[in-house]
Amino acid sequence: MSWGPAAVLVGTFALLLGLGVPVAFALGLAAAAGLVVSIDAGPALTTLAQQSATGLDSFALLAIPLFVLSGQLMNRGGVARRLVDLGKAVAGTMPGGLAWVNVVACTLFGAISGSAVAATAAIGGFMTPQMTREGYDREYAAAVNLTSSTTGLLIPPSNILIVYALASGGASVAALFLAGYLPGLLLAAAIGATAAWIASRRRYPRASAHRARELGRRLVAALPSLGLIVLVMGGIVAGVFTATEAAGVAVLYALILTLVVHRELRLREVPRVLVEAATTTGVVMLLIAASMALSWVLAYERIPQAAAEALLGLGGGKLVVLLLINLVLLVVGAVLDMTPAVLIFTPIFLPVAVELGLDPVHFGIVMVLNLCIGLCTPPVGTVLFVGLGVAGASLGRTLRFLLPLYVAMVIALAVVTLVPELSLWLPRRFGFL
Amino acid sequence: MTTSSLATLRRAVDRLLEAILALLLSAMTLAVLWQVASRYLLGDPSSVTEELARFLLIWLGLLGAAYAFGQKAHVALPGLLRVMERRAGSRTAVLSRRLAHWLPVLAVAAFSLGVLLVGGARLVSLVLDLEQRSAALGMPLGWVYLVLPLAGLLILLYCLCDAVEPRPGAHARRHLDPHSDAEIGDRSA
Repeated sequence: MSWGPAAVLVGTFALLLGLGVPVAFALGLAAAAGLVVSIDAGPALTTLAQQSATGLDSFALLAIPLFVLSGQLMNRGGVARRLVDLGKAVAGTMPGGLAWVNVVACTLFGAISGSAVAATAAIGGFMTPQMTREGYDREYAAAVNLTSSTTGLLIPPSNILIVYALASGGASVAALFLAGYLPGLLLAAAIGATAAWIASRRRYPRASAHRARELGRRLVAALPSLGLIVLVMGGIVAGVFTATEAAGVAVLYALILTLVVHRELRLREVPRVLVEAATTTGVVMLLIAASMALSWVLAYERIPQAAAEALLGLGGGKLVVLLLINLVLLVVGAVLDMTPAVLIFTPIFLPVAVELGLDPVHFGIVMVLNLCIGLCTPPVGTVLFVGLGVAGASLGRTLRFLLPLYVAMVIALAVVTLVPELSLWLPRRFGFL
Repeated sequence: MTTSSLATLRRAVDRLLEAILALLLSAMTLAVLWQVASRYLLGDPSSVTEELARFLLIWLGLLGAAYAFGQKAHVALPGLLRVMERRAGSRTAVLSRRLAHWLPVLAVAAFSLGVLLVGGARLVSLVLDLEQRSAALGMPLGWVYLVLPLAGLLILLYCLCDAVEPRPGAHARRHLDPHSDAEIGDRSA
């Protein structure tokens, strides 16, 4: 292989991204530029078109639009309010009470909706006014809200884990879903504990204790919303249906819940929700199609092999290579969206990780947790900017609250990287590994 | 074609795509649900619905991508030219505003024309010539790939609308508010 095509590809991508070209189109054009320096334009374009289309041809991927749809149906109703109420009853009396409430609600909402952005917007919109009214800093509320909303990407159902399953070429979605639980909860705990530590230093108030009966009432109110997770994961674990089929059942459940049980959605609003879900699907699928085409070009130019040889040739041993991979991914996550990052860097790093004796499922969790940090950092932290926008906070003033939370996330990442059992115990326990 | 008739065409295409997307997503959901039902009720998972759902996803994904481009929903960075625009003098500002409007439109058009329309059309004719058919439905694979040139055409149409739009469009206006970049931010996360 030669580095020429790789340089053309990376250079084109960086230039287009800097000019404000949408990421998916920049990826596609970079793939085209990288390939036409090697082969004729006509066959190159045909091949790229084919790779884009076949990149989407997967039964596992079908779960994504369906989880997007069920998430957006759930977002319509009063799910956010019910989860915040539940969080208050569970965690309101701990130091930094409302911060814990925010973490619990974000984690649950992120798990149900499968979207960190939706969790940030929904819970942040709900919690920020309450927190500022009780004397919390607006910037603190934003920082806790946006970091904790990423935990839902690890806690199933999670679309990014489906994307990883596709990129890894064989990791089981069910195993990945189960593997995400403990690391996701660890991340939530690390963020919550750090938030509580800041809260006690700044002497934020804590809420008064709720009676047990109140807790029970709120749990019952939130139960139908949480039932979606139970249904999806219960069905997958019990082997009743695959992840994709579970997503279809989740749509049915969300429709019945919002139309019939909560009555917070009217039938004539459903087409609008369908179009919104299809739009989100289009954005994600074009990213996937372009990333798959680019990934194919990289493989054609034998870049992954070269990168693997370079990494393993350093001779630093397992820990050094894992550290290096994590550092590269932290940088990648800061400038690239999560979906293309997973699709492009999995084929490059996964063979190295497997060579070093890592389980692909464990590596997937490490990768997603790593990229969660990038979602919360500038310059391209999409969750960061949604979180700041919802709270009306500026980046400059929020950064001092974010820095200790970044440290907490990096510590969680180190623990998850070094302790494979944290990821692998649950899927093994249920016979998925 | 005058600007107003182009705008009328754009609205018509929007409405048509919305109807098609809602139908495709509904059909996909039903196909996947039928997949579960057929296995438990008939004891025999339908391979037809599995393949159908996969093909529907390709159509939904690419037509959805075209529609999303029309709605400015794709993820983009604010771009260096926008930053220059805020800092530079008025003449440079006008120039960089024009470039910041035109260059992304041109890049999107280049991808849509080259890969989706030309590459896609070549692929469709190649696969039709080889008479490749799908395994379960026996459908010509050319029909599945037909969505590639179709999505390319639609995105090119949206590019044309963006290009002739006399005033800065919704895309440019959103950038004036520093928080609003998040609105067009990541939907995948």
